[in-house]
Amino acid sequence: MYWTVSMEATAQRYRVDPHARFRVLDDEGVFILQDAGEVLVVNAVGAFIVERLKADASLDEIVDAVTERYEVESTQARTDAIALVETLLKAGAIVKS
Amino acid sequence: MTALTLEVHGCRYRFSGLTPEQAGRVQGRFGPLLRSDDGHADVPIDVHYTPNRGGFMQRPAGPREYRVAVAHRADSIAVAGIGFTANIDRRPFRAQLQTCLVDDWFLGAFENLWRVVASYALFARGALLMHSAAFTDGARGFLFCGRSGAGKTTLCGLADRLELEVLSDELNAVAERGEAYELRAMPFAGDFGGLPAPHPPYPLTGLLGLAHDTAARLDLCSRAEAVSRIVASCPYLNADPVEIDALTTRVARLVEGVPLRILSFAKDTTFWNVLDREYGSHRTALSG
Repeated sequence: MYWTVSMEATAQRYRVDPHARFRVLDDEGVFILQDAGEVLVVNAVGAFIVERLKADASLDEIVDAVTERYEVESTQARTDAIALVETLLKAGAIVKS
Repeated sequence: MTALTLEVHGCRYRFSGLTPEQAGRVQGRFGPLLRSDDGHADVPIDVHYTPNRGGFMQRPAGPREYRVAVAHRADSIAVAGIGFTANIDRRPFRAQLQTCLVDDWFLGAFENLWRVVASYALFARGALLMHSAAFTDGARGFLFCGRSGAGKTTLCGLADRLELEVLSDELNAVAERGEAYELRAMPFAGDFGGLPAPHPPYPLTGLLGLAHDTAARLDLCSRAEAVSRIVASCPYLNADPVEIDALTTRVARLVEGVPLRILSFAKDTTFWNVLDREYGSHRTALSG
């Protein structure tokens, strides 16, 4: 599947799909997917990750930021970040830069 | 050719260029909303009858539901469905309908276009059109947003058994008024049926999402989830890149004023006990 993210390829950068909008509300994030007329909610960590993606951070840099902010193991942060990115790619919320 | 003016909550939609047969069908369906036609319109809609069926999407052999195609452009919105195409200009706000229909199918084209036009006309006036069910006990208005399958029609059937007045199981509007919000019935009845009739606005007392469960209860949800549920329920605008940011901002403001709660309900009337108890103590009064 094209949205699979390799554990090794985390230097990749992503951006919000041009047909989507992202907004943070009370720490949580809302994606509005215009083409599908769908809406997607991400939790506070997810919103943090998306804000970093929007700031052109690589997945490696995001993992470092999540590890520092939420005091989680780097391995766990990487696994969670990749899972989120895969979900958002599959939903059409983000695309590779 | 005939012109008909239909008024919904103070907004006058003037449909001109109707053939006598088309006008008769509109009068039969939307008669209570007709106003004397003095040429004044908030939203002018020109109808062009073109008896060339080959130029339009063909009607199916039997009855079926289909999704109207809507394409958003910078300065207009294009709409197409069975037997019609239409164009809505953003500024000045107006629409043109081309159709090969004059029989019962014409009402389908007419209403399909009117829904899109009304969603934009309402939005321009500070309101939101939502896929939703709504009912009132005469003093309080309750709106349940959700797409097909959420349980809107089921809930309306249960509300009807309780002799609550169902406004629609498909499309209703919410408008800010002073520091409160009001619920407005729209002339789009959905599966629950009924001929369109003028309704006064009701105070929006309960703004709810729907979930199925074995017992009725109310749950809070986060503001992000509330915004997501309501934006997802706002047809046409939620897919329009020109309006999506303004829509999200308006919805966020709405849920600040009227927090969204999730009503879980079984297929019985016990949900009303939960709603009546929860919202009984803080009835929303309209200001002004």
